[in-house]
Amino acid sequence: MTDERTIRIEPVTRLEGHGELTIKLGKGGKVKDVQFNISSTRFFEKFLEGRLAEEVPRIAERICGICPVPHLLASVKAVEAAWDVNPPKPAEKVRRLFLNAKQLSSHGLHFFALAAPDFLAGPFADPSQRNVVNIIKSLPDVGKLALQIMEYGQDLVCAIGGKSIHPVTATPGGMLNPFSEEHRDNFLERMEDLKEWTTDTVKLAKKVVDDYWDVIENFAVVPTYYLGMHYRGNYEIYDGRLRVMNPEGEIVENFPAKRYRKYYGEHVPNHSYATHIYYKPAGYPEGVWRANSLARINVADKMPTPLAQEALEEFREKLGRPTHATFAYHWARVIEMIQAVEEMEKLLQDPDIVSTDVKLSDVEPKKGNGVGVVEAPRGTLLHHYWTDERGIVTKTNLVVATNNNIGGIEKSLMKAAKQVFENKEHENLNLPDPMIK
Amino acid sequence: MAKRVAFTQLTSCWGCDQSLVDLHLGLLDVIPELEIVYWPAVVDYKLKDLENLPDQSIEFGFVEGSCRTKEDEHLLKVMREKSQTLIAWGSCSCYGGVQGLGNQWSIDELMERKFKTADTVTNGRIPEENMPGFTDHIKANTEIVPFELRIPGCPPTPENTLEGLTALLQGEEYELPNKTVCDECPKEREHKTITEFHRTHEGKIDPDRCLLDQGYLCLGFATISLCGAQCPKVNTPCKGCFGPPPGVIDHGAKIISALGSVVDMDAEELREYFPDTIGSFYFTDYASSYLSKITSRKKKEETT
Repeated sequence: MTDERTIRIEPVTRLEGHGELTIKLGKGGKVKDVQFNISSTRFFEKFLEGRLAEEVPRIAERICGICPVPHLLASVKAVEAAWDVNPPKPAEKVRRLFLNAKQLSSHGLHFFALAAPDFLAGPFADPSQRNVVNIIKSLPDVGKLALQIMEYGQDLVCAIGGKSIHPVTATPGGMLNPFSEEHRDNFLERMEDLKEWTTDTVKLAKKVVDDYWDVIENFAVVPTYYLGMHYRGNYEIYDGRLRVMNPEGEIVENFPAKRYRKYYGEHVPNHSYATHIYYKPAGYPEGVWRANSLARINVADKMPTPLAQEALEEFREKLGRPTHATFAYHWARVIEMIQAVEEMEKLLQDPDIVSTDVKLSDVEPKKGNGVGVVEAPRGTLLHHYWTDERGIVTKTNLVVATNNNIGGIEKSLMKAAKQVFENKEHENLNLPDPMIK
Repeated sequence: MAKRVAFTQLTSCWGCDQSLVDLHLGLLDVIPELEIVYWPAVVDYKLKDLENLPDQSIEFGFVEGSCRTKEDEHLLKVMREKSQTLIAWGSCSCYGGVQGLGNQWSIDELMERKFKTADTVTNGRIPEENMPGFTDHIKANTEIVPFELRIPGCPPTPENTLEGLTALLQGEEYELPNKTVCDECPKEREHKTITEFHRTHEGKIDPDRCLLDQGYLCLGFATISLCGAQCPKVNTPCKGCFGPPPGVIDHGAKIISALGSVVDMDAEELREYFPDTIGSFYFTDYASSYLSKITSRKKKEETT
């Protein structure tokens, strides 16, 4: 008789994308292997070839319907870099507003729809209970809060981009449509409400953090490298240099995105269609890094806006720098929501935001190659395109945000599986009463 | 009584899901009408739960995405068995989506590029363990199993989905409009003969005049009007992502033939303006075109 078995979880739910989980247990419940099987891919790398480069951003953003804005912008920036084009300053400000609006709605979606059900209904609640639909029904105030935050972000994305999903106005050389004064006034007017909802979200998140402190501090804590953007040490999402932090918390690299190939390695696992990105000088799997909110918070020396900085200080006081606690991603996300709201308000008050000087009229295609990077909600997003003299894409390389995390996710799943199956640590975890009864 | 609904995602970007969530507070009206029996993005039911449902027990089954993997094909067939009314939701489901552009190459070429020759890959190989395997080429889901309803769009707007869903809940007919994006576009159209085309990054667009009249390839004239002309309204040419109006089978062929009547240039000249015919004229529906079927058949013959 043997107690060896394989556990398959298919599909992994509350995930954007397609994934299954395979846990192989050996004798005595020993965890032999944990695989995060990403089971689909679409091959954008190949089918972007031969396209007119200025049209590529509208195709490439279809990589993700939850975060099309960062794909659109990374793609446009890559074409601009290949053609040596610098858009007017006001266009850059509109793009920053665009990206922050998406950051807000995506983080709202992530916090309330993907993560919060585990905290509010409790991780051991029946599957039919553990979802945002049930939050809307059982905790209508929380549900409404979530919907309003997402709505503000998505409406603003739509006002800038013409569509809330797969928006269209960013083009090599600037923006095809200026941001209107009517829209500016409307979103400024709604800003007070947004700030209030954000404060309420922070309160809710604080309660969750306090209630689940044991889980945050003890569960799936794994040391990895971290990758994130910064501008002179400040947290940054639109344009800056990239930092790599080692598991000990030292910044080991600081480089402009165009030199990424020296530092980025892409490991192809046999059990996933999503590759694992890692810090090449350290090799695989030692160099596995994580991106996304926790990584950005780890690599930044400080936040550029006051309330976000306050929140960062509180976070660091409790968890240190770096923190390797996987559950701290949720807290980091809340700090980023505060930052997004503060930066959005600042940009909406900037006179340049309604400038009509948002597009160059003399953009010329040329042969070259260019890298475009932004921070997407799920991590550092990189598009690299090669174009010919007519401005047709001849080759691409894409390192999408989530792939920076898959190696780290597997590492934390392995740790969690050992804690659950070998050490039964979950039985001793101090879990609060769920808010949804 | 609440209706039993399922939302499934084949290979896609999940934008159709996000579009449903974009109903925001409107969700508060819809959700009580729905009993969600499967929706992996949101609810923790597993594939087995879906497979174990009795046949025809889902009243409305929404299918987003297209079949890029064999697992997708399985899920599509399960959804067909379990659903009374099956809805092709979004342009991937209706026409194959942007990933249909991959049909220009064989699946081996696509895999080679991604898993072996990408610049940053350090150990090229094709993943196999616990992996479902890929389909040879992308097809519209409606060519694989029969559907009762189509709601195209990349993605459908929240209003499109709400309209379809409301019609279903009230037992009414849902019909696609026989109009084009131009019918909803506020820009002034003079029906000028086009003598030259500009690429979207070139020059500056006059916000009041028809984009096509100005020489930008705006496909509104050959695209179904469901989106409210959202792109031309923000000075961005329509790329046809909602597909053609009802009755047109090959969107790109229709666009090319219609262009013939508005341009004053010979075929060679027109061709020079559009070196990437497929990308320019078949944005989200190449997989359902005649051209793609011919290419896919040739690719298959070459490999066998």
